[in-house]
Amino acid sequence: MKSILMGAATLALMAGAVHAEGHSAATADKRIALSNNYAGNSWRQAMLQTYAETAEAAVADGVVAAADAFTTSENQTTEQAAQIQNMILQGYDAILLNAASPTALNGAVKEACDAGVKVISFDSIVTEPCAWRIAVDFVEMGRQEVDYLATRLPEGGNLLEIRGLAGVSTDDAISQGIHDGIAEHSQFEIVGSVHGDWAQDVAQKAVAGILPSLPDVVGVVTQGGDGYGAAEAFAAAGRPTPLIILGNRQDELKWWAEQRDANGYETLSLSIAPGVASLAFWVGQQILAGEDVPKDLTVPFLTITQDDLDSALETTPEGSVANVSYTLEDAQAVIAGAK
Amino acid sequence: MTMKPWVWGWAAAGLAFVVTLMLTSGRGAGELAYAALSFGAFAAIVGLGQMLVITLGPGNVDLSIPACMTLAGTLALKTMGSDPNTAFLGLAVALATGFGVGCVNFLLIWLLRLPPIIATLAASLIYQSLAIWSNRGLRIKPPEGLADFATGRFIGVPNVAWVALILAVVVWVILERAVWGRWLLASGQNARAARLAGIPVEAVRAATYLSVSVFAALAGYLLASFSGGAALNMGAEYLLTSIAVVVIGGSSIAGGNSNVPGVLGAALFMFLVVSMLNSYGAGAGIKSVLTGTIIIAIVIAASTRRSRQ
Repeated sequence: MKSILMGAATLALMAGAVHAEGHSAATADKRIALSNNYAGNSWRQAMLQTYAETAEAAVADGVVAAADAFTTSENQTTEQAAQIQNMILQGYDAILLNAASPTALNGAVKEACDAGVKVISFDSIVTEPCAWRIAVDFVEMGRQEVDYLATRLPEGGNLLEIRGLAGVSTDDAISQGIHDGIAEHSQFEIVGSVHGDWAQDVAQKAVAGILPSLPDVVGVVTQGGDGYGAAEAFAAAGRPTPLIILGNRQDELKWWAEQRDANGYETLSLSIAPGVASLAFWVGQQILAGEDVPKDLTVPFLTITQDDLDSALETTPEGSVANVSYTLEDAQAVIAGAK
Repeated sequence: MTMKPWVWGWAAAGLAFVVTLMLTSGRGAGELAYAALSFGAFAAIVGLGQMLVITLGPGNVDLSIPACMTLAGTLALKTMGSDPNTAFLGLAVALATGFGVGCVNFLLIWLLRLPPIIATLAASLIYQSLAIWSNRGLRIKPPEGLADFATGRFIGVPNVAWVALILAVVVWVILERAVWGRWLLASGQNARAARLAGIPVEAVRAATYLSVSVFAALAGYLLASFSGGAALNMGAEYLLTSIAVVVIGGSSIAGGNSNVPGVLGAALFMFLVVSMLNSYGAGAGIKSVLTGTIIIAIVIAASTRRSRQ
């Protein structure tokens, strides 16, 4: 799995030798809390699972005293702000935050900073300057999708874009990258755009509705969690399967493998790994250990190519998302890379 | 001759269909109709259940439909575990889940005297948590035969649309031709008068809350089989949809008046209007605004007609 983690693995080897200790003793009495805004999809479930495994091992090894996870039930900013305030009162030393809003939690985050609590936001980050941000370069992700299409379909053609959840910054960023890519590769044209809400069934419905009005489509650019639904919709409409960029879900990878075995189908799959929570944990541990950590860190996305497909399928549980669990060395490499 | 209130949902669906096809100058009509029938079927099934509850009178609504769909879909697919010949076992599990959810909802409303909105909303958090706890969001594929049925067709019409149609006919017969339907309408128009007239109002309420959950469970089972597995957020968009199709379909939101053909037309409309706006390339913001405006316009048109009757 690690071989497909672009760049990070090699960097990890270099940095690992430098900081072999990782100041684990310095944080033995520290307590870390995870504030998570949503648990209602397979990606978040995998994220919580990976976090639980990392945290359990770290507590058992005496790296930290506690690393508890809390999830709000309704994905509301008010609820999560109250949750952060509770964590301050409970005396946690650091809060790892997957935020319901980039701005609405800034007040609560500032309160935490003022109380001396380190706040590390990841995945859905916050804009409050006192917090750390572990972000994915989603614009780059969109651009890479089009770059890949350009290598496979040099003559270009019509594309269908499946977007995520309207109003979320991730959706805007990936779409921005895709449109930047199209500007660069002008042989492509987006002839239709629908919102699939990162869910197979919603994407399937939206694609089925727009397909009758579309000319021939050669490629589908996606945001993850929507590729399989798009494939189903093309099949139901009796259209040839275009080149669909996938998003690392196990059902997408399985479909890809089936297509590859049947007719040599080739594509690319990329998404952010749910294990980013474990990266946030180790970054938090490093901050508590007194390491100088830049406020803005970038986490690589997990790319699966034709060659990695079989190994990725093997390590991904049935019905889940391709994942990678980050280690202390990975975190140190990411920190070193940002300096 | 007075216009029936259900005409408006169908007229709007027809209009959205025609406007979409104007873009392609008629090409793809069959494809679009087929997609509308497939996806409209799920909205119709949950809409029929919601219609029965709303007919019970002011304050009656089931907000646990999405969680019930998710729980039923998740449990059914987990039980089947992609094994062939387990489709009916899965169906039984789904319907039993719906029955259980309906019982819990009604007991909360009846024994604890909670307003239905609060009871069903609070209980839905429990159902959703059970769904998360039971399978941790893993998507299990439906057995092949069941998936083929859910995505297949019979005489050119999707199988799921046949299921919705049969269900609609049954509901229509019960509402219009059976004593139970009269009891439901009477309870919805004036619960006190109905009780004094000797109608078992609580039994009617119990049966209604059971029906909506069983319908939602059936929709969840079919949707999960149709889209290649249950997802934890698969029911989310059916909360507003279920209420919208009832209102657009010409049933009275104040209760005591239901309209089966209207729900079917409105279910097709809800799919077609989004397809139409997508086909014309409307952005997400404009799409939401236009969808809302169109729904309000239809509801006004339908209700003005009714008050003139």
